[in-house]
Amino acid sequence: MTEPTTSATRALTLPQPEPTGWPRFRDWALRTPFVQVVVLVALSALLVVTIPAFLVRPQAGIAVLTIAALLALASMGQTLVVIIGGLDLAVAGYITFGAMIASNATSRLGWPVSLAFVVVVLACGGVGATVGWLCHRFRIQPLVMTLGVGAMLTGGSMFIASGDYNGQPPAELRALAQLNGTTFGLPFPPIIGIVALLGVGLWLFLAKTAAGRRLYATGVNPVAANFARVKTSVVWTAVFAASGALAGLAGVFIAAFGAGWSQAVGDPYLFAGLAAVLVGGTTFGSVRGGFTRTALGALILTVLSTLIVSRGLSEAQGRIVYGIIILAVVALYGRERHVRDRF
Amino acid sequence: MSRFLGLLRRHAWAFALVLAIALLIANLMVSPNFLSPARLPATLATLAPFVLVGFASTPSILSGGVDVSVGPLATFINCLFVAVLLPSGIGDWYAAIPILLLTAAGIGAMTGVLVAVVRLHPVVASTGVLFVLIGLSITISKSPVSATPNWSDPLAQSFGWIPGALVTMGVVALGWFFLRRTAFVANLLATGESDVSAYGSGVNVTAVRILAYALGGLFAGIAGIALSALLQSSQSSLATTYALLGLAAAVLGGTALGGGKGGLLGTFFGALVIYLLQQLLTAAGVQPSLVQFAYGFALVVGVLVGATLLNSRRVRSRA
Repeated sequence: MTEPTTSATRALTLPQPEPTGWPRFRDWALRTPFVQVVVLVALSALLVVTIPAFLVRPQAGIAVLTIAALLALASMGQTLVVIIGGLDLAVAGYITFGAMIASNATSRLGWPVSLAFVVVVLACGGVGATVGWLCHRFRIQPLVMTLGVGAMLTGGSMFIASGDYNGQPPAELRALAQLNGTTFGLPFPPIIGIVALLGVGLWLFLAKTAAGRRLYATGVNPVAANFARVKTSVVWTAVFAASGALAGLAGVFIAAFGAGWSQAVGDPYLFAGLAAVLVGGTTFGSVRGGFTRTALGALILTVLSTLIVSRGLSEAQGRIVYGIIILAVVALYGRERHVRDRF
Repeated sequence: MSRFLGLLRRHAWAFALVLAIALLIANLMVSPNFLSPARLPATLATLAPFVLVGFASTPSILSGGVDVSVGPLATFINCLFVAVLLPSGIGDWYAAIPILLLTAAGIGAMTGVLVAVVRLHPVVASTGVLFVLIGLSITISKSPVSATPNWSDPLAQSFGWIPGALVTMGVVALGWFFLRRTAFVANLLATGESDVSAYGSGVNVTAVRILAYALGGLFAGIAGIALSALLQSSQSSLATTYALLGLAAAVLGGTALGGGKGGLLGTFFGALVIYLLQQLLTAAGVQPSLVQFAYGFALVVGVLVGATLLNSRRVRSRA
């Protein structure tokens, strides 16, 4: 009888030694949003150096935080959808609908703010749930389905409002998101606190509950998840419903922030929201995704665009930088496996 | 009835064709001179950019990916031609056409390299390129620039009795007709169906993917020329409108988003359906907001019908 543990079998059966030094650091840096934090700190430092006024006047910093909070809220649902391996292109439609209800239903029909919130969350959530269920049931790529639904929502919102873009959200709603708002006497608008609370809740849900783990399982491998008795159809329905409800909510706050709406109010948030998700490091069907990363992505993009504007570059050049940043960050650690390795 | 359904199932493009014929009849009922010879060149010229952007997004979808940047690429080519080449005096056709098409194909190939070599998710790669292209278009022409009289005008009118739009669409269709007879399209479909199997059969998956995106870029370049011919000005603001239109046309035409199934014929009918629907509703005096609603509704219904009635394989759950 020969020695049972040759070097080949030993490599297969015995646990690998813990990596040390650089490989260990690299593993850790890829598991945590380390790169994002470093980039954010560097960009913020650059911002403070170029515009020293940021130290003197805290309002400027609060403005950046508010815009980042709106972007983070708009991309919160997209994060969940991307984790389960889908894509929601209806975000712009949900935002337009939410902004329309917040501006027109309150000022023209006299709805109270709470009713506007409930209607937006229920309507957008219901539409999202339908989309998620249909996509799962009939194996439709959510890309096309949400594209169509987004156009329906935008067109429908414009039709309901019948070309009336002059509605204004009531003062108590505007106080939630406008820059001169206060939270319990503190000098920042409540939207920052609301998004932070939602973010903590979402983190707890994703990282600490069984339902959150089921979501990751569905994204990584739906077939395996099904065998593990995860009801993937429920996951898909719930995630798309959440995406719709959160984007609609973002629309309400975006209308409050901008004191009104237009037919194109959601458009910038569709691709910028996707950019925030991707720059944060959540990739399609990945276990590393999460809202913490998206919030960091939204902050990076907002600080970056503030920096770009302050350096006298135009918005157009900002877009170019956006594109390059997305490609660079995802190339750093969002790469897929070579077909050779899946063979 | 079952034979009819069987026919629709066998040919991915047949459903879009049936829809297009129905919409064409409806259009003729609303405005009887819709197809009159005098109006035909102008009608085809407004149709051409739709169809060509649809064509441009098809090869990448067939390869199993997706390219959301072809629409902005078409508007970038439009801005490049009208706002850069024409004012700087290299707007003659023998100089401009090679420059525009090479630029477009090069940008497409770059997206392809990002997908196939850098191995980014296709949506991520093309979203990054989309941002860069929109930024470049706005940098070139922030506000619309009117074109000086140039060679592209007949492309939106007619060459003698041939409508100019038939030339732009025909070049692409002819090119695809010959490509279908090469190994490239067979390899492209194999890669889209299952890249692992194609790789195992010796297909150079990387090269096929890059070529697919480059081909899409080339078609987007032609779309940009057709757009310039139609508008005779640079419109950087159209980029977001066209971004997802081509995708919708391809999918309505029966091209499977998973890849490996479909072709340009289906995309043509898909684009025709979207165009005819918009024409019909506009001619019937429906508000623009409802036209957009109907476009979204048609897309949803088309995808649902394609996934249920026309799917010959039994619908399985995602497991």
